[in-house]
Amino acid sequence: MKSLKGKIHVSDYMRKSVVTLHADSTVREAIKVMIRERTNGVVVLDNKKKVIGILSSWDIIKHIMPDYLEEDKHLAAFESADVFEQRIKAVKEDPISKFMTERVVTAKQESTLMEATALLSQHKIRQLPIVDKNGKLVGYINRTDIKLAIGEVLKDNP
Amino acid sequence: MDTLFFISIAIFTISYAFIVSEKIHRTVIALSGAIVMIISGVLTQEIALKHIDFNTIGLLIGMMILVGIAKDSGMFEFAAIWTCKKVKGRPFPIFFAISFLVAIFSAFLDNVTTVLLMTPVIFVIANNLKINPTPMLVGAILLSNTGGLATLIGDPPNILIGSATDLTFNDFLINLGPISLITSFSTALIVVFWYRKKLVCSQATRENIMRFNPRDALTNKSLLIKSLISIGVVLIGFMTHEITGLDGATIALGGATLLFLLTLNDPEKHLHNVEWTSIFFFVGLFILVGGLVEVGAIGNLAKKLVSITAGNLHFTAMILMWGSAIISGVVDNIPLVATMIPLIKDVVAITGMPSEPLWWALAIGADIGGNATLLGASANVVVASIAEKEGNRISFFAFLKIGLVTSFVSMVLATGYYLLKII
Repeated sequence: MKSLKGKIHVSDYMRKSVVTLHADSTVREAIKVMIRERTNGVVVLDNKKKVIGILSSWDIIKHIMPDYLEEDKHLAAFESADVFEQRIKAVKEDPISKFMTERVVTAKQESTLMEATALLSQHKIRQLPIVDKNGKLVGYINRTDIKLAIGEVLKDNP
Repeated sequence: MDTLFFISIAIFTISYAFIVSEKIHRTVIALSGAIVMIISGVLTQEIALKHIDFNTIGLLIGMMILVGIAKDSGMFEFAAIWTCKKVKGRPFPIFFAISFLVAIFSAFLDNVTTVLLMTPVIFVIANNLKINPTPMLVGAILLSNTGGLATLIGDPPNILIGSATDLTFNDFLINLGPISLITSFSTALIVVFWYRKKLVCSQATRENIMRFNPRDALTNKSLLIKSLISIGVVLIGFMTHEITGLDGATIALGGATLLFLLTLNDPEKHLHNVEWTSIFFFVGLFILVGGLVEVGAIGNLAKKLVSITAGNLHFTAMILMWGSAIISGVVDNIPLVATMIPLIKDVVAITGMPSEPLWWALAIGADIGGNATLLGASANVVVASIAEKEGNRISFFAFLKIGLVTSFVSMVLATGYYLLKII
């Protein structure tokens, strides 16, 4: 029985429109795009549209947070309240390439859903940029897309 | 034998030069040198292993595990925040309070661990007071080194000396404790005077400190109690080791094991957190120095030193103290002390002079010398790199000025005390 009716490839579930940013974009620009597009994850491209990183709102939070507070979990309650604003102002022009996640796991259009699911689970990540053989971005698949595929299987297996 | 003599000196000198140049990680260099010593036949593996001081290694590992678990309780942050509130948020007393806490902590903990714990606190305090953190950061660097002088476990040179001799924890405390106190005090005074204009804040920012609830730092009360019990047992163990005959490694690893048992923590994570790179640096270094000892190079050097000083105890002690201080200002004091230990043993064997004053001279010079430059001790480098990340660069030359002044004054005071009370 084929519950997915032959739709077993990444290309069947990936979205073609992907929110992207250039590696030279600043924190300020990244936040603007993330708020506008209502997303917490953006694919980062170089001049040749090759995927070179992923920027999540998580990366931005960690970048704003001073390292000394990140390393010492007992001090958060004592830090001066204005440090939040000060830090944001201090890093607002930093390029995202400085702190984005550089080790990006990608998949191909012809990869199977099984492979994509395995990659998400193995690397504990939320999204997979889909690239062609030259590393150029062609689409994007995330947990929601996999969830839809799971739903399709369950629909045919009451 | 003659060729081995020169091979050994060559391996040692080249390794030392690489360690000083800091181009390649010092642990890799020490291990490479040690391996080459064995392969080239300077010493066999069996003899090499005998040169590793496993008491030092065990003591270091034990204390690293103990502090690694205990710090999760937040007790060190609690102590710092509590003291700042007690002195009503006034900047001068806060400076002294934080600096002396650093000195006290580093008398019982590794210096790097101490500054890693206290640097974040300094930033938080300075942000609340809206003052420049530099004076407190510089104070923390300098007092971590003068504080570490006080005990057998306070600084790597002291651990090495304590392990190589039969000097007890209390011997260190009685002989070096007063010098540690005097030099810490003089250093803190100089730093406060030096930066007096930066240590000014308004009443409003002081209120920020007064609003602190130090208990917020204590994130794990049961761990706090268990840690205090284990640290207490270790301290009692050290203070009574002349009676019980237990060695440092047994006491420190015993304390670490006790805390493992009390917390039933997964040992894997905490064993990972041991600074294995430092431990392997010591291992390599012991074998490197062992190579020199085996071919008689250290013995030759000892004879040279004796002929220069004509076997005069005072002269030998002063050369050791000031020489170690100058060298430690420029290079890491751990390799220096590891090399000086067999040398001093030989000098004592040749001349029959009492060894104890010489050990104190070496410890004083090596520990205080680390304050002269930003590269003088590991704690200095650690604070400087955290500060730089937060946009508070401490420049080499800015530090050099205050480092030279404070370490010179400390050395003069230490020499005075030494000549009056020790020798």
